[in-house]
Amino acid sequence: MSAVELQGVEKSYGSLHVLRGASAAFEEGRVHVVMGPSGAGKTTLLRLVAGLEAPDAGEVVVPEGARLGMVFQEDRLLDNLTATANIRLPHGRLRGEELEAFLARERTALASVGLPVDNRPVSELSGGQRRRVAILRCVLSEASVLFFDEPLKGMDVATVARVMDYLVPLLAERTVLWVTHDPKEKELLPSSVLWDVRDGAVSRL
Amino acid sequence: MPRGVDKSRREGGRLGTWGVRLLVLGFWLLMWQVATWAINARIILVGPLDVLARLCALVITGEFWASVGVSLARIAVGFALAVLSGVLLAAIASRARVVRELLEPLMGVMKAVPVASFVILVLLWVSSSYLSVVIAFVMALPIVYTNVLEGIRQTSPQLLEMCQVFGVGTLERVRLVYASQVLPYFRAAVSLALALSWKAGIAAEVIGLPDFTIGEHLYDAKVYLDTPDLFAWTVAIVIVSVALDSLMNRALDRVAVRWEARP
Repeated sequence: MSAVELQGVEKSYGSLHVLRGASAAFEEGRVHVVMGPSGAGKTTLLRLVAGLEAPDAGEVVVPEGARLGMVFQEDRLLDNLTATANIRLPHGRLRGEELEAFLARERTALASVGLPVDNRPVSELSGGQRRRVAILRCVLSEASVLFFDEPLKGMDVATVARVMDYLVPLLAERTVLWVTHDPKEKELLPSSVLWDVRDGAVSRL
Repeated sequence: MPRGVDKSRREGGRLGTWGVRLLVLGFWLLMWQVATWAINARIILVGPLDVLARLCALVITGEFWASVGVSLARIAVGFALAVLSGVLLAAIASRARVVRELLEPLMGVMKAVPVASFVILVLLWVSSSYLSVVIAFVMALPIVYTNVLEGIRQTSPQLLEMCQVFGVGTLERVRLVYASQVLPYFRAAVSLALALSWKAGIAAEVIGLPDFTIGEHLYDAKVYLDTPDLFAWTVAIVIVSVALDSLMNRALDRVAVRWEARP
């Protein structure tokens, strides 16, 4: 069964045709690694399935009521809030025991990926640290469909290992579209499906 | 550790700033006293020491506090109403273009019409007791509205997209995204509007002459050519204005700090 589907999707920006009748069915509950040359339309693909752009023609199918999560190319954090408050954003307003339980989970997560556990606003964190906060916000959300746009870009090998150790188990049973430039990332995501975006089409490899 | 170093340096800087400020204040007080001696006519210029003496005599009277209280309470009501309606209208205007277009000339008029014209017009409509409420409101509303609307419109579209993907509810969007993005604009507006409401409110009292108000005392000082009284009341007005600004800033700081430091 497919969770996310493109059916003959066309998308252009002015005279630039990004997708030309692209069709693809991303199987539910699996990790899909999406690769392709720069400017081929990988980010456009994510923006379409995330509902941030409408296709010029064709259809984008995402299961009704599915909750989505995304790591954008930019961190898109609330600068003057703490890391935990940022990660909690998709959960709405938690109170009492529910809040305490989630905070405990957040603190474990922060420590696991090598982030400081304190009450500093994220504006005081480094670029690499902010990136990890954005990744945690996505995986700790209750979303069943997750989109990652080059999440590990610029991260050193040791940090990538830490982040992936924490991240991979949390991707189980969820539908993941993972956009990357780096062919090695496929190895970090066990039993993932590889896709190629090229010349306006999306094809399974 | 670096945070500690930063803090001590900042405090040293603050001490230096205060020293400079005191020196500047001393310089101008001295100039004021010298000018008073040179002119040597109490009706034109009263020296700082005489003003201080007059102010001291005033502050021990019940009437002084009653007048300050009455003026302050009325202007505060007008100001608070303006802040509430300014934020509310800006929120609606940011969503509905019709409202935005409709309000634009209205706010423009409120900004452009001189206080004196408003005062006389308002006196025809309401009792002089409510005059400063209305004037404070009219002065503050366009400032709060324009600034908050600008803040909402400058809110990062990237953050709003992020909220859209994660399905963040409207209430949370307002509480966490808009609030933080609009806060700097709101602070600037409140600081400016408060000072303006206070000054314009008292100016209105001078024209409308409601009983037991600062404006009434200023008017009396003019009628009786009581220049020390005029200066003393003016100093009192300035002190209240500075105190209000400082209190408001502290209150907003506290709210912001508590809000930001939440785990």
